Amino acid sequence: MITFQSVTKRYPDGTVAVDHLDLEIPASKIVVLVGPSGCGKTTSLRMINRLVEPTSGRILLDGRDVAEVNPSHLRRGIGYVIQQTGLFPHRTIEDNIATVPLLNHWDKRKARERARELMDLVGLDTAAMAKRYPHQLSGGQQQRVGVARALAADPPVLLMDEPFSAVDPIVRASLQDELIRLQGELHKTVVLVTHDVEEAIKVGDLIALYRPGGHLAQVDTPERLLGAPVDDYVRDFVGFDRGIRRLSFFAATALDLAADTVLTSDTSAADAIQAAKQAGQEWVLVVDAERRPIGWAEVGDLESLPASAALGDAPLAPVGHTFRPDTDSLRAALDATILSRTERAVAVDERGQVMGTTSYERLRDAIRAAEEAADRQAVSGSTPQPAGEAG
Amino acid sequence: MVWSWIPQNWGLIWQYTSDNALLGLVPPLIGLAISIPLGVVSVRWGWVYPPLLSLTSAVYAIPSLAVFVVLIDYTGLGNLTVIIALTLFSLCVLLPNVVDGLRGVSQPVRQAATAMGYGEIRRLVQVELPIATPVVIAGLRIAVVSSISLASVAQLIGVGSLGYFFIDGLQRDFPTEIYVGAFAVLALAFVSDMLLVTIGALLTPWRRGQRTLGGVWAISLAGTGR
Repeated sequence: MITFQSVTKRYPDGTVAVDHLDLEIPASKIVVLVGPSGCGKTTSLRMINRLVEPTSGRILLDGRDVAEVNPSHLRRGIGYVIQQTGLFPHRTIEDNIATVPLLNHWDKRKARERARELMDLVGLDTAAMAKRYPHQLSGGQQQRVGVARALAADPPVLLMDEPFSAVDPIVRASLQDELIRLQGELHKTVVLVTHDVEEAIKVGDLIALYRPGGHLAQVDTPERLLGAPVDDYVRDFVGFDRGIRRLSFFAATALDLAADTVLTSDTSAADAIQAAKQAGQEWVLVVDAERRPIGWAEVGDLESLPASAALGDAPLAPVGHTFRPDTDSLRAALDATILSRTERAVAVDERGQVMGTTSYERLRDAIRAAEEAADRQAVSGSTPQPAGEAG
Repeated sequence: MVWSWIPQNWGLIWQYTSDNALLGLVPPLIGLAISIPLGVVSVRWGWVYPPLLSLTSAVYAIPSLAVFVVLIDYTGLGNLTVIIALTLFSLCVLLPNVVDGLRGVSQPVRQAATAMGYGEIRRLVQVELPIATPVVIAGLRIAVVSSISLASVAQLIGVGSLGYFFIDGLQRDFPTEIYVGAFAVLALAFVSDMLLVTIGALLTPWRRGQRTLGGVWAISLAGTGR
């Protein structure tokens, strides 16, 4: 756990980067410091490993004032990843990663073994890359090396300063996914600085949103930040489509799925028409013998078929993309519904078999229920509330 | 050109070439040993650098013969006088290269090193100086080549060097000797430079594949200018 106690950083020219900051960063969570440039988020981060010394106030790492720890020793227990990677151009990838173990007097062979373990962990091809130099790697690979290097001595704390800002959006998304996956295995206390609120919402367990001038605007879970911004500043910063984005935090399991118009392709057209009419639907979903979706059939088309025809003979509209209630969010279900020609989305299980279909009406009910549940939870105080919340 | 003169005087040519090599190589190495701490100080305390640089440039501007003559009063007619003078000259090239090399270490690299727990000295030795090596070697190459060329002037105060052949050839109106001397200076400069290029390559394995031979030649030729 990292605790900021009334921390202020004033530079000699009078600028105040951080102003009486109180913030508690719980252990084993990803806490994202986000805000516009010059808001003091990076300064806050750098005060944790004493790259910047506070003008006043204290920073406690597991109860101990970092100012009392020898800086070099303190830093060897805190991983540090920066946007420009800061890899040593004169060292091979494995030796870059082995840096802190070597500083901690491990023997060279053990340090390199550890480096190769970490290359595996962050998804780098050990055989091909261990002996290469940083300039021979792509930006995304270099950033992975940076993360591996920070993790080499297994520090409990990892500081990341805009770690994914310099790579293209596709690589960035994969590095973010990688961080979430790694955190699932390693449970580090991660403090990540970014100016990108999307990134904060995606990777953060907790978000500390800064105001210009080194103040905190709101410290909350991503879902609460989207659902209950404390003021206009937060609302504007989080963005205008926060309502949609908040849906990412609601599981699609809440959806009440309709299964009465899911029919196999050998069903007769007449039976299909009857089923649709009973359910009050204009479309039926056609599935194969294994209940995998084939396409949508419209009642109007079915009526023009000869009486002996089966569903499989009807012209079918494409299923489009499906969603999985057990792993996807309401946002994915909504997206699938919007993109579907029939205004209905298909829910499948892990084998790709149809569980049912959903519609705008059913989504609306699920969203309302989820929001009400979240609000009740917030009122009863069961959402983690960080001590440093300002507002 | 009297070709037969060469084998007849082989011993003499070899003698002066090795004397000249010593005078060409030792001063830049001493100069490097002085430039590294001066460079570190200059990077750490920026205000030191401009006056220091002016001083080394001013020294370089003094004709070598004048420096020899001034030094003779203190150190006599010998190798020491020449080595001191050439060392002073080499600083003019080496100091800026050490400073540029150290300043060329990017801020993120420096910051990452600090954040991983390097102390200042260790960071200097294990991170900054190795990264500065290519620029320092480039300066050393110029210093060595120019020192080899300057060393021939030492013959004017009687210190053995390839300059002997220029003076002797001129006095006896015997061009062969001058050609041989000039060729020996060039050959010595070229061999020394290649030696440094090789050492540089061995010290900087990470730059393999990034070098061009054209660059090597351009610097060699520029260095012999004085």
